[in-house]
Amino acid sequence: MEIIELRQVTKTFGPVTAVRNLDLKVPAGTIYGFIGPNGSGKTTTIRMIMNIFFPDEGSIHVRGKEHESSRLERVGYLPEDRGLYKKMKVYDVLKFIGDLKNTGNIKSEIEYWLKKLDLFDRADKKVETLSKGMTQKLQFIATVIDRPEIIILDEPFSGLDPVNAEILKEALLELQKNGATVIFSTHDMNMAEKMCDYIFMIHKGTKVLDGTLNSIQDKYGNDTVRLQTESGIDVLTGIKGIEKVNDFGQIQELRLSQGTDTQGILAEVMKKSRILKFEVTRPSLNDIFIRIAAPDRKEEYHA
Amino acid sequence: MHKIFVIALREYKAAVKTKSFIISLILLPVLMGGSLAVSIITEDNVDTDDKKYVIIDHSGLFSEAIQQSVIQHNESEIFKKGTQEKIKPAYFVEFVNPDKSDSFKQKLELSERVKSKELNGFFEIGSSVLHPDNDPGNAFVRYYSESGFLDESRNWFANPINNHMRKLRLEEMHLSADSTKDLFNWTNIEDLGLLKVDEASGNIQDAEKSNPIQSLLIPYILVMLMFMLGIMGSTPLITAVMEEKMEKIAEVLLATVTPAQFMAGKVLGSTCVSLTTATIYIAAGIITASQLGYANMIPYNLVVWFFIYLIFFLIMMGSLFTALGAACNDNKDAQNVSFPAMMPMILPLLVLMPVLKNPIGGLATWLSLFPPFTPMLMITRMATPVSIPVWQPIAGLLGVFLFTLFAVWAGSRIFRTGILMQGQKPTMSNLFKYVFRG
Repeated sequence: MEIIELRQVTKTFGPVTAVRNLDLKVPAGTIYGFIGPNGSGKTTTIRMIMNIFFPDEGSIHVRGKEHESSRLERVGYLPEDRGLYKKMKVYDVLKFIGDLKNTGNIKSEIEYWLKKLDLFDRADKKVETLSKGMTQKLQFIATVIDRPEIIILDEPFSGLDPVNAEILKEALLELQKNGATVIFSTHDMNMAEKMCDYIFMIHKGTKVLDGTLNSIQDKYGNDTVRLQTESGIDVLTGIKGIEKVNDFGQIQELRLSQGTDTQGILAEVMKKSRILKFEVTRPSLNDIFIRIAAPDRKEEYHA
Repeated sequence: MHKIFVIALREYKAAVKTKSFIISLILLPVLMGGSLAVSIITEDNVDTDDKKYVIIDHSGLFSEAIQQSVIQHNESEIFKKGTQEKIKPAYFVEFVNPDKSDSFKQKLELSERVKSKELNGFFEIGSSVLHPDNDPGNAFVRYYSESGFLDESRNWFANPINNHMRKLRLEEMHLSADSTKDLFNWTNIEDLGLLKVDEASGNIQDAEKSNPIQSLLIPYILVMLMFMLGIMGSTPLITAVMEEKMEKIAEVLLATVTPAQFMAGKVLGSTCVSLTTATIYIAAGIITASQLGYANMIPYNLVVWFFIYLIFFLIMMGSLFTALGAACNDNKDAQNVSFPAMMPMILPLLVLMPVLKNPIGGLATWLSLFPPFTPMLMITRMATPVSIPVWQPIAGLLGVFLFTLFAVWAGSRIFRTGILMQGQKPTMSNLFKYVFRG
């Protein structure tokens, strides 16, 4: 069952069409990743789901009901630009947000989340004294303080160090395990690949990808070879059937032209160098993203 | 409503728990009573430096009389009896003969002496001042100085000159001063209120002498209090809302509350802060007046009207300033819109004196029925001893109520659009667009 559904949604700002004829269905209890280049329409889509922006055309349904002018209840939202009252104390700001959201057991919830996100000893400090990472975690707690049914996060991992990103990821998975539906936008393709049940990509306001990671990768087939040789990128010179090469130094990632025989590539490379690794695989989400967002981008080596 | 109260409570606590609230609580009466206090303090602090004047007397009649008056003044008026503290300046006069060949040159030389602080000023008495009809062009007494308008000496010298002229005229008519004593008796008209019936006893109460405190001070205090509460309570909303918008706090809150709830919470919070301040001042004023024996002058029915008008005034102004704050992007925007938005508070002050002089005149009546001005001007009119028609405060209240509804509606329309709009200037055309097209 879809907990959120967008039907033919269009939003324009003056002459710019931020989102065009967007259809999207978010099943309940899943983690849905929104990816796309900067300015592609992710935040506008999220703001429309949150009823902060109103679509010019189409309709948005949450829990089967079309949006009205009232706010969404039991929906947690973490905006892209974080904002909290800097002069308030950590505990007070969570109490304020919790009261606004009619949170039951507010004290125990605040204590639970502050401990879980390693902020308990900061409860009496003013928000302005926290580091950027701490503020982001505090903002996350404010988003989920009422244990919402739907959690919408705009780039929750940006600016977090790996330890804090891991803490946040665990918290999100716990909430999903307890029944929450999670939507988050991200530029971290690795995180999206690992966490999301579904991935939606928007580019120039238009949906270009929507589905599970497997279904997306299936569209592109096994056209990628990860290669490691003793001679590096030079062994690839003159080999036919290689469309693009992404050189990581130790490893080269090759995108093959349609119909190219991987065994032929293997034989050609073996003639020139000793092979340490040869893996035929599907393209990564990062690769798919770049193929869509920057199809004309120059690679390290163009065969 | 719950969400509005939560936001209002945060606003209230954030304002009341600060040091600036306490400071402003003290500062407000200091500012209001500042000019009064300065005038009281400076009343005793008069200029006691001796003054030197030159008199050019074309008539030749006054030297002796003025000299005698000056001597009497210097001997008996400049020192406080008992303490011998100098409380007035001593006067010294020098008579010079008029230069008939070049009077301008003579006056220019005297002017130079005044500029060099050798003299404080000089007088010129015309030749036909005693009998003006003979030669009206020369029937004058002139005082030349750097600031004659504010100089009290000018008034002092008018007395010996006019008294001596009166004496000379009586002598010419062969009349003695004693026989004409009543001729110069001037009776002032007493300023009284109206007679009324005592509600408890049913007896007629005689009219009381008109009290300047009742006539001027109470209306002045009430209107200034309303003005200051508006300035201190409503105007900070522009920068507060603008900061919430620019620091993205608004977007966080708008995920949970509607723009209308957000705005209503902020306006309610600031209104409660101002009402707290007003209650403290009014209570302190009533207690102080009672202690000083002015309890009978406290207009309790007016206090009720004051609070009713104040509430609408604060909501009206709060909605306006909150909406404008939402439409601003930086401090420059906020500065540009602040002054025009303060006009409903400033303009009533500009017409305060005409309204106080004639509270039932056409200007006072119609301006006080113009809703943005009604709270300040109607309370001013009601606070004067003059009775205004009973329907007018009620009609004014109805107008203010309707206008406040409009202000809240228009404000929330601007707020809804402006709070997430970046880069758009708060021009009149944009604001109208937000109100009527969203």
